[in-house]
Amino acid sequence: MSEVTPTKTLDVCGKICPYPDMNTMTTLKKMEKGEVLEVLLDYPLSVERIPRNLKKQGHKLIEVEQLDGPNHRMLIEAHGLK
Amino acid sequence: MEAVLTGLFVGVLFGFILQRGRFCMNSAFRDAILLQDNVLLKTVFAALLVELVGFALMDAAGAIAINPKPFWWGANLLGSFVFGIGMVLAGGCASGITYRTGEGMVGSMTAVLGLATAGYFTAAGFLKPFKANLQAATTISGADDKALTLHGILGMDYTTLAIILALIAVVAWYFIAKSKKDEYEADPGWGWLNTGILVGLVGILAFPLSAAAGRNYPLGITAGWINIVKVIFSGDSFNWLGLMIIGIVVGGLVAALISKEFKFRMPKPIVLLQTFAGGILMGFGAVTSGGCNIGHLLSGIPQLSMGSILAGVSIFLGAWAASYVMFVLPQKKDE
Repeated sequence: MSEVTPTKTLDVCGKICPYPDMNTMTTLKKMEKGEVLEVLLDYPLSVERIPRNLKKQGHKLIEVEQLDGPNHRMLIEAHGLK
Repeated sequence: MEAVLTGLFVGVLFGFILQRGRFCMNSAFRDAILLQDNVLLKTVFAALLVELVGFALMDAAGAIAINPKPFWWGANLLGSFVFGIGMVLAGGCASGITYRTGEGMVGSMTAVLGLATAGYFTAAGFLKPFKANLQAATTISGADDKALTLHGILGMDYTTLAIILALIAVVAWYFIAKSKKDEYEADPGWGWLNTGILVGLVGILAFPLSAAAGRNYPLGITAGWINIVKVIFSGDSFNWLGLMIIGIVVGGLVAALISKEFKFRMPKPIVLLQTFAGGILMGFGAVTSGGCNIGHLLSGIPQLSMGSILAGVSIFLGAWAASYVMFVLPQKKDE
């Protein structure tokens, strides 16, 4: 469990495909370099899909943590490029 | 009676694999456009290739007799385009919303409700005349009034053409993959190749089993839900596909429970309305076109049905159009 304090938390639990991914991308785009986004999600496909697309988008995945059941918590560092 | 029960077994297997492999054609198409993420698309192609080879060998051995759907260009174009739009609104393809119902996703349940309702009315209700007329008016048959197929047009034997196409596809894929030199990170899940192969194998299993129960076709979804509607409201008995649908929901549920991924998940009420509307478009589109993403893409393309090929292109176009309006345009407005 990371010691990093998130700058912002985004809760996309309950959202249908592909909103967990789209909301995460949109929020990250608006953040400054180095800021950390905490994403709370419960959609298994997005748990697998977001990390592999973050690299392409230039953001850095700090950690993915499984909470209980399908609930997950992701910490992502924004690249800040506008 | 026994032959029909194999549908349940195939469905449980299918639902389990769908859930574990996160298989969804809606995501496969949409991700490729929106995110430039091809992983699910590769899963679909792998499944198609496995079935292409499997059906070809089984047909040559006499274990099955392929049964491609007819070419009704107007119905294929319109129905599948509308289906593609519906998929994006529903947040899943026909198999996706079915297995995710088993996972506890309420948004998928409302989509299924839409699919079953509109599917029923198009197959057996007030929309049936429209569908039947459109199909009849735009039919182009092959030789001997049979369904128009690729091998029919080329004057070739099905098995021969299928094997040739599979070989070309594998070779082409190998060279494309080599030239791209993707950095492959270990897939956290089952991986696209495993999932694709397993889905393909289920399709191969489904064909002879379904044929033995009187339905000479491999996997499908929409007609199964319509059968369930008829069982509930008209006292029909379950057919192979109806039982398969029940199996998919159960298989998805079991897979979710085992991996502790089962949870009732509810989006906002307005989204439930959206997925219901998406399901309506999917139900109407699938029955009009003669198949959904499973009936046409997964089952029809490996049989080289021209109707299924056209439907596949049309589904993709519909999904592309809806994704563009729903996800790309709003982003552009932000910039």
